[in-house]
Amino acid sequence: MHDVDLLGQPMTAPEQQLLQVYRTLKSLAAANHPPCVDRNVKKALACMWQVVNDLNLEFEQVYDVGV
Amino acid sequence: MTSHRGDYWNPKNETLSREDLQALQLIKLRRLCEWAYAKSPFHRRRWERAGFHPDRLKSLADIERIPFMTREEWMEGQLEAPPFGSLPAVDPVLAVRYHTTSGTTGRTPLRVLDSTKDWEWIAEMWCYGLWAFGLRQHDVVLFAFSYGTFIGFWGAHYACEKIGCLVLPTGAATSEARVKAVMDMGVTTVCSTPTYALRMCQAAAEMGIDLAGSNVNKIIVSGEPAGSVPTIKRQLESSWGAKVGDNAGMTEIGTIMIFECSRQPGGTHIIEDNFIEETIEHDGDRPVPYGERAERVVTSFGRGFIPLIRYRTKDLVVKVPYTECGCGRTGDLYMGGIQGRWDDMKLVRGTNVYPLAVESIVRECSAVDEFQILLTRDGLQDEITVRIELKPGREDHWDTLHRRLCKDLPDAHEGLRFNVARAEHNSLPRFELKAKRLVDKRPVAEYR
Repeated sequence: MHDVDLLGQPMTAPEQQLLQVYRTLKSLAAANHPPCVDRNVKKALACMWQVVNDLNLEFEQVYDVGV
Repeated sequence: MTSHRGDYWNPKNETLSREDLQALQLIKLRRLCEWAYAKSPFHRRRWERAGFHPDRLKSLADIERIPFMTREEWMEGQLEAPPFGSLPAVDPVLAVRYHTTSGTTGRTPLRVLDSTKDWEWIAEMWCYGLWAFGLRQHDVVLFAFSYGTFIGFWGAHYACEKIGCLVLPTGAATSEARVKAVMDMGVTTVCSTPTYALRMCQAAAEMGIDLAGSNVNKIIVSGEPAGSVPTIKRQLESSWGAKVGDNAGMTEIGTIMIFECSRQPGGTHIIEDNFIEETIEHDGDRPVPYGERAERVVTSFGRGFIPLIRYRTKDLVVKVPYTECGCGRTGDLYMGGIQGRWDDMKLVRGTNVYPLAVESIVRECSAVDEFQILLTRDGLQDEITVRIELKPGREDHWDTLHRRLCKDLPDAHEGLRFNVARAEHNSLPRFELKAKRLVDKRPVAEYR
């Protein structure tokens, strides 16, 4: 896990947790699931992308996992 | 940290130092350009022709190495490879939304696509603006918006749901039905164009309803430059008994890039952690400093599906430093919001006429219900006529109004003579979305 955000500032404990949630969702979105899991995970990932973008924790494209 | 932390949707980034903000912009710019170079044939082809590669972005000033992108190029690509052209960086099968430009500035609309993430980001940007103007979970928000393929208030709708407001989507309802909903449902916030917010006042007056007596305390306007024109804002605030907050965006980015905060400093903050907004001379490519009229050029970070990088908007703006507002945000401002479009300007007998400048003078008189600017040619000479509809019961204001406009309009236009004519009540067109109050009947080819 990264200890600093995009600007090199130390992440707070909640920020580290949020980034972990984002990464877990990204990993789940790339896997094969039933539609009820797949679409809801992807929707959740779309929301978590906003969080990590807003807090400068990550900035990347997630189209390759269908989001 | 500032004492009004709760006023910010994103306290971390809305109060970043300018140095950190620019460092963040550079990181995002590099990553977006690397993405666009790898995935968008449109960008790769143009950049290779111009000798630009994302590796050359060492500082934010290096953005000037990237060639400008124009609507015309985008449109050409769309016509060559319909329906979406070569700009999309992603397979269209991943899109969940299709929207088009309104067609105000071109006959063929641009077509845009959004993925699930992009669509969520569009609402997120609106959250910055709506939260800054005071929207909260307890608000009841009425959308006077027809929900078509024009992007309009779509993002604002989902932003209100995200904030937790109760949303009333009035779709194809009549003005009268919307006024009734405002009164019956305890609506606190109305989202519409400035023109349509005035139209609702007219409808309410005809119904014998005083909107200033309703629960509405915020009007969120967008879609037209008029939202930051002081005379129009005053008229709306007086008629509704509510504060009017201006926001501006464009279909090409899908959302807003500027918003007015609750301090109403006379300008709109730029969401600079998600956009780079350059101010460039409208007939060239050099940067324009703070305080001078310029064309805005936008780079948007949130929509990787159709990467918009150094896009020339033709919007007329005056950028000022963030210190002009005391709200604590560090995003710079556009004073007066979007002040018009460079291609809105009309040349009449050698004088530049901007429709918004005419509107700001006409709206100084509260007796005006609707108006139209008519350009005609009489023999060899251009004529400009402002046609005025008065509010019912205000007919006795005509002589005074006529005298005033015959003086004020020329005074503001280098002495250009305006004809001012009265129009019958309800004879001029009404608008819900982008108002088109200028009718140019002159032979087109001679004015290109």
